[in-house]
Amino acid sequence: MKKVLVACGGAVATSTVAAGKIKGLLKENNIEADVQQCRVSELASKADSADLIVTTAKVDRDYGVPVIHGIAYISGVGIDKTNQEVLDNLRS
Amino acid sequence: MAVIEYILDLGPTVMLPLVILVLGLLLRQGIGKSLRAGIMVGVGFVGVNLVIGLLTDNLGPAAQDMAERFDLGLSVVDIGWPGASPMAWASSIGTIAIPVAVLVNIAMLVLKMTRVVNVDIWNIWHMTFTGAIVHIATGSFWLGIVGVIIHSAFVYKLGDWFAPVTQKHFGLEGIAIPHGSGTWSAPFAVVIDSILDRIPKIKKLNFNSEKIEERFGVVGEPVVIGAFLGLVIGFLAGYPLSDILPLAIQMGAVMVLMPTVVKFIMEGLVPIADAARGILDKRFQGKEYYIGLDPALLLGNSQVVAASLIFVPLTILIAVIFPGNEILPFGDLATIGFFISMAVGIHHANLFRTLISGTFIMVITIWIANMTIGFHTKLAENAGTIDGGQVASLDQGGSPITFILTELLQPQNIIPLIIIGGLYVFSVIFTYLKFKRGKMYDEEKTTGVESE
Repeated sequence: MKKVLVACGGAVATSTVAAGKIKGLLKENNIEADVQQCRVSELASKADSADLIVTTAKVDRDYGVPVIHGIAYISGVGIDKTNQEVLDNLRS
Repeated sequence: MAVIEYILDLGPTVMLPLVILVLGLLLRQGIGKSLRAGIMVGVGFVGVNLVIGLLTDNLGPAAQDMAERFDLGLSVVDIGWPGASPMAWASSIGTIAIPVAVLVNIAMLVLKMTRVVNVDIWNIWHMTFTGAIVHIATGSFWLGIVGVIIHSAFVYKLGDWFAPVTQKHFGLEGIAIPHGSGTWSAPFAVVIDSILDRIPKIKKLNFNSEKIEERFGVVGEPVVIGAFLGLVIGFLAGYPLSDILPLAIQMGAVMVLMPTVVKFIMEGLVPIADAARGILDKRFQGKEYYIGLDPALLLGNSQVVAASLIFVPLTILIAVIFPGNEILPFGDLATIGFFISMAVGIHHANLFRTLISGTFIMVITIWIANMTIGFHTKLAENAGTIDGGQVASLDQGGSPITFILTELLQPQNIIPLIIIGGLYVFSVIFTYLKFKRGKMYDEEKTTGVESE
């Protein structure tokens, strides 16, 4: 099963919203994946075990794993495009 | 009346879930979704109380022993924003703060007083905290609501003023960040930046931040910070090794478990947040509006990360040196970057300047947080989180907005009020004037050459 890390500053507010939306999206599309939340500061040590990272914070570091900027899950602007990116990444 | 009193007596772990259920039904979220949301909020409270218990029951006594042995303050544990926010939600102000803050936003948008459409419902807890503290200080529920109104109106304006930094420096198009500790502290950074611009030689100074994250990344991980602090404090408390090591693991556990339990409160708020966003989106859409979002957006920026890593030990150092300080920084250390995030942008990522203004910001924060320990402890008792001892938080217990409002209505610390109030009001006016002249963020500006 693929693993998605959803990160924000404190792993409380925005990542909860984004993780909720991503779980819904995956369910609709019948994709099984483990969606977990964490803080941005924990990404470096958790990235190894993940297949995809979605962050609401804009990270400019390379973790060796695809990173999607998931701000659309919070702002609502451009959410279809972000959804597509997530699906493309998990289907490939 | 008897029914209301009965429900109020059941405490926040029951009351807020009921409020969320009713709000959810009113906002047409359906019975199933609303019920689940309400229960989730209750689950969050139960979890938070367990984790705060783990923190205060174990780190609290150790901190006191350490304080006694070395004649240090540092006996009151900082529970951080993950600990403070549930207490704000659990207060009586918390039950109606969301509609109040949203209505203030709508009124200001209609009157063209702000361009910020705040869709970030979680961070209304900051405004709620101010209201709850004012309520406790004055005994007046309505003054508490006035506190929520003033705090929210003020931070929407801050969102407007710092939008150029958010958008040009951090590249977040169409976004403003109207709350959180990074935004209230930003006016100080604006003044300090202008002062540093005027000092020859100093104005060219900068540090290289590139390698910091690479070298110290693991040390900056919350679980490591927690375990390390547990280790050091257990040692300084004079504990035997058989007590030090469990304390270290427990404090690592607090750092990991804290967001895991607080997020359930957010999960419960999601239906309300979605509904509020729906209402705001429908009416206020287009280029003339900024979407108001969480300061977490700034915490991924590598320069913010680098500065955050430095500010973990630096904040502890300030706490040790600050005369008469009683607070042991802990809960806010995991996200200390919030305090200096906007400052990083204001200083064009000049690390030297961020260190200067960040130090100033943390000194003011710790000073204020010391003066709010009494109210904060009462807030924690009201929420049923503690029944003994004292608590504090840097975020939001150390915020000048909360402090100035509370002191103006119920003066207790006149001299600090004059100093902090004076400095803050001056900084805010200075910031406003800079914004008015269109000089909040000059993309052409370079602040000094990077040096190793």
